[in-house]
Amino acid sequence: MDTDNDNSLDRTDDFDNGDGKPEKMFTLKKWNAVAMWSWDVECDVCAICRVQVMDACLRCQSDNKRDVLGKQDCVVVWGECNHSFHFCCMSLWVKQNNRCPLCQQEWCVQRMGK
Amino acid sequence: MFKRSFEEVWPEMGPIVEKLLKQEDVSPKEWQQLFYGVHSVCMWDDKGPSKIFDWLKKDIVTFIKQAQRIVQSQIGEQALLTTYIVEWRKFFIQSNYLPLPFRQMESSLSGKHNSSNSLNSSSGTHSKKNGTASEDSIVRKTMLDSWNEHIFKDIKDRLQESAMKIVHAERNGEAYDSQLVIGVRESYVNLSSNLEDKLAIYKEHFEAAYLKATAAFYSLKANEQQQMFGVQAFIKYADAKLREEESRAKRYLEPSSYQALTACCVKVLVEDHLNTILAECSPLIKSYETERLNLMFRLLDRVQGGVDPMLRDLEEHIISAGLADMLAASDIITHDSEKYVERLLELFNRFSALVRNAFNDDPRFLTSRDKAFKTVVNDTTVFKLDLPTAVVNRGIKSTAPESKCPELLANYCDMLLRRTPLSKRLTSEEIDSRLRDVLLVLKYVNNKDVFMKYHKVHLTRRLILGTSADSEKEEDIVEWLREVGMPADYVNRLARMFQDIKVSDDLNSQFKTQTARHDAINIKILNAGAWGRCSERVSVSLPIELEDYIPEIEDFYKKKHSGRKLQWYHHMSNGTISFVNNAGRFDLDVTTFQMAVLFAWNQRPLEKVSYENLRLATELPDTELRRTLWSLIASAKVKKQILLMEPNCNSPKDFTENTLFYINQEFAVIKNGKPQTRGKLNLVGRLQLSTEKSQQEDNQSIVELRILRTQEAIIKIMKHRKRMNNADLQVISFKIKKYIKNRFVSGQAELITILKNMFFPSRKMIKEQLEWLIEKNHLRRDENDINTFYYVA
Repeated sequence: MDTDNDNSLDRTDDFDNGDGKPEKMFTLKKWNAVAMWSWDVECDVCAICRVQVMDACLRCQSDNKRDVLGKQDCVVVWGECNHSFHFCCMSLWVKQNNRCPLCQQEWCVQRMGK
Repeated sequence: MFKRSFEEVWPEMGPIVEKLLKQEDVSPKEWQQLFYGVHSVCMWDDKGPSKIFDWLKKDIVTFIKQAQRIVQSQIGEQALLTTYIVEWRKFFIQSNYLPLPFRQMESSLSGKHNSSNSLNSSSGTHSKKNGTASEDSIVRKTMLDSWNEHIFKDIKDRLQESAMKIVHAERNGEAYDSQLVIGVRESYVNLSSNLEDKLAIYKEHFEAAYLKATAAFYSLKANEQQQMFGVQAFIKYADAKLREEESRAKRYLEPSSYQALTACCVKVLVEDHLNTILAECSPLIKSYETERLNLMFRLLDRVQGGVDPMLRDLEEHIISAGLADMLAASDIITHDSEKYVERLLELFNRFSALVRNAFNDDPRFLTSRDKAFKTVVNDTTVFKLDLPTAVVNRGIKSTAPESKCPELLANYCDMLLRRTPLSKRLTSEEIDSRLRDVLLVLKYVNNKDVFMKYHKVHLTRRLILGTSADSEKEEDIVEWLREVGMPADYVNRLARMFQDIKVSDDLNSQFKTQTARHDAINIKILNAGAWGRCSERVSVSLPIELEDYIPEIEDFYKKKHSGRKLQWYHHMSNGTISFVNNAGRFDLDVTTFQMAVLFAWNQRPLEKVSYENLRLATELPDTELRRTLWSLIASAKVKKQILLMEPNCNSPKDFTENTLFYINQEFAVIKNGKPQTRGKLNLVGRLQLSTEKSQQEDNQSIVELRILRTQEAIIKIMKHRKRMNNADLQVISFKIKKYIKNRFVSGQAELITILKNMFFPSRKMIKEQLEWLIEKNHLRRDENDINTFYYVA
């Protein structure tokens, strides 16, 4: 970007040796902030399917290899006991046994991941 | 109709028969007379048929004896042969006509002679018999048998010899009469009285003699040719003669003999000289003499196992030439991924052309090429890659060095997919074809998991910094990797990354509309599972300008999602700052770490700040701070640096607590040798995604996955076999490798996968894992034989 012709203009708002009320030497123009999200769980692995909770559960992975990408439906569910599992895995589990597979307390959904 | 006895009829018939045999004119009336005579004798005289037959036979023999005298009286081979052929032709033609009037006699004879036979054959084979009536004729058989007995038997050796002499003359390019040879062959075939195998006599005598003569001729000639003109010329000679003999055989031999003749020629012309010919192979390959190789290939392919040594020669050549080439260029290619990949491809194309032109893309040679190329690609002499891991685990003591090839391939991919001078220079099609080339080479790489690791790191960088040249191509290559058989979980994770970027874009625009003032901020909130579970977070104390945004973003995100926690990856984030000094105003693209360091001077623009104070201000870990400072002090891209130091150090390692740093107030962007007052500069360089520790963790995860796969394979196989002896280890290793290959392509069998194995378990690794599995009681060692293992259920 050539700016030879606005030399005179620059002088006025240039940084002036630190006394007076200066413009700061460095100012932020743009910031690309990066963060990672993960489920707020105590154990990374779903005890039912043995897959990391951050990944889709085993069923979802094998059912529709390609389609998994489109949707992120395989969410996590927390019970009152604070144990967490893939929602898919847990909903199958409770059909047989309405207890937490880890602590055997009665299963009661505390919250769902979103 | 009146009764006539044989005695009355024969005097009339005899002369006509004689005329027929001599091929003299027979009038229609005489011809009819024969039929009539035979008919009346057969009708009225019980003994008639046999009498006719006896007399007929007598006449035939008399005629043959005359012919024999004519033939025998000839002097000289040629004359004998010629006369014989003339007489034989005449006789042979007549053998088709003479039997006709005697049909009735034949049928009454055969009815008497072998009634049982006629009963058998009357029903089933009747129709067939009609078709070949003349061939079955007793009269004809008698004629031919008599000929055989009275002439042929005596002179057949001479005839055969003469015929071979003619063939010999023909082979020498002298004048010849091929009809004579054909005549002799026909005599042999037609004179056979053996109905089961009409070619028996021919085979026993003529074919055998022909083959013998051929073998004798060429075994002599072959040596002569070699001595006179050398092996090269001989190969050409052999090829030409083989084809010549094949076409000659079509003239002189029955079709059933072609194969034997070819085999005979191949034996004398090729097989007997196999070693001499093969000795030429290696030099020819080295000088890429495709035409001669092609000739040799066609020749040797006729011999069982003949091309095997050629395969070995090719393989050796590719390995040694390939490695020599890589070694010679090692200075350039170890640093320049582009040159390296181009070099590899050039080698590959050269060898492929050789296989195509010299060996017609024969599958056996293609396999050899692949095998050899694999060795070249995975060779570790030019450069190697270690996968150092921090922790010793599961019995693995150390990992063997591996080829660096996958890393360089991934780098090359990055150059094509990122906005670089290279990718700008190429058209979209050119880039596509080069990416395909990468996949082609990748097929030969043993440690593909390493490629995937580097590819992902590069992709992360491109997506975070938004430096992709073409986002469509990015997604294309992910699909190609899938098609080519890369494990689904790897590929899905890559695809998930693209998904995440799109989700983040939406999120970002929502964030901007909800909190109207933040034009300066751009957020990417990514799925930790897909982007790098193991990369380590680095703490930093952010400048206040940035810090302010954090709670706002987190609040915003919490409203949109629940059950999620956020971790800031400041080592990935970056931005643009404007920098004002004496020289002018400049826009700098920097990492967040660089920002943290530079903003420390905002309170004290002209001060010199010690390393220790910067550390306190930024709270960056030692290695990160050193690296960040160095990137501002010694950026390779700029003539004037932003940061200056005191005293001067040669490397970031030399910084001490007291090393002082200060902002270069004379900094300016230099363009065409002149300092500018405005300008933009990118100081991000290669975004540092990984720390030393996280790299170790990455390597660790590769090694760990390999170990798991190996164990999985061992257990699966042992579960099936129950018991294994150490002697089987070779077999087992093979199975394990196969299992690992198949595991990765399972479910995609319909795709002919080229990327079969993600890694190649070494024998050592397999042994180590066996030990580990024994330790963990999955396997048991036999008490008496340490080399035998059992599966423990």
